[in-house]
Amino acid sequence: MHVPDGYLPIWLLLTMYAISGAVAFYSIRRINRKFDDRLVPYMGVLAAVIFAAQLVNFQVPPSSGHLVGSTLLAVMVGPFAGTLIMALVLFVQALYADGGLLTYGLNLFNMGVFSCFLGWSLAFIMFRGLRKFTEEKKAVLVGTAFAAFVTTVLAAFVLGLELLTVPGFNVLAVAAITWIHVFIGIGEAILTFVILLYFVRAKPSLVSFLKDSEVKELAVVVGGREEGPQERVTIIKS
Amino acid sequence: MEGNTWKRFVLPALVFLIAVISLLILGGLASENPDGFEWAFFDFAGIQESEGGFGGILGFLGEGPLVDAVTGAIGIFLVLIIALLLFRMTSRGTKA
Repeated sequence: MHVPDGYLPIWLLLTMYAISGAVAFYSIRRINRKFDDRLVPYMGVLAAVIFAAQLVNFQVPPSSGHLVGSTLLAVMVGPFAGTLIMALVLFVQALYADGGLLTYGLNLFNMGVFSCFLGWSLAFIMFRGLRKFTEEKKAVLVGTAFAAFVTTVLAAFVLGLELLTVPGFNVLAVAAITWIHVFIGIGEAILTFVILLYFVRAKPSLVSFLKDSEVKELAVVVGGREEGPQERVTIIKS
Repeated sequence: MEGNTWKRFVLPALVFLIAVISLLILGGLASENPDGFEWAFFDFAGIQESEGGFGGILGFLGEGPLVDAVTGAIGIFLVLIIALLLFRMTSRGTKA
């Protein structure tokens, strides 16, 4: 899903840079001082996991796919922090020429902004529904995997709409890119489930949907208050 | 950041990720097929793939599984460092 430079019109790229830049800036303000520094190593490793997972493509003949991880990140640390992690993963990938530098804003919109917020919303609705019938760990796993599948397909559809600005890319091609991502989305859902299962078992406090999460404040989407520049200090009782 | 967290969590995770990715790449287990975008754009829609352009900051190393494994490892390390700096900057201090 990483679009290289040289195909899309500059007006679209600049528009996407503006939208993604604004969301990234707002995301930094939203997460500022919302979690304590003991969680920083886990956030760093989470970013490294997503980058590593995107390095390896799985077979989807005649194509291939790889994990994007936006829904997984959004469920774990919230859509704002998730978008920021995707921003830095995509930045390093752009430096590696995996996705262009001019298309960075567009790629961040598709795989970060759009996917994180849609993935989080779908997973949240699913989680709330499933929690009535099963325990919360199972609900978060199933809800997130399903949301990851739907988000992958819809993100591909949005990418297809953007590609309609390229001469030669038509509605049939939009259907093709969406259709192939139905199968890639199944891979995304399976990988999301497996990685989330690891975190649910090993470090459940890093999954924002769960009751004992330490990142709940970080993941607040509606009604969270932005902090001022002063630093809050948490005193841990020994 | 506490030294213990580095030793117990960050370094093992880093080594594990690099080992798994290297194994998958060097073992030829990653698919070489075009990804969903490339397939739909170049193969299905028949749009001409342009030659040249920016080859990446490590493009001078060339191509091949070994280069992919090395550049992948560097990337994993780079992302980890940038993420640690970013989230360190945006976290609140904890005083034990």
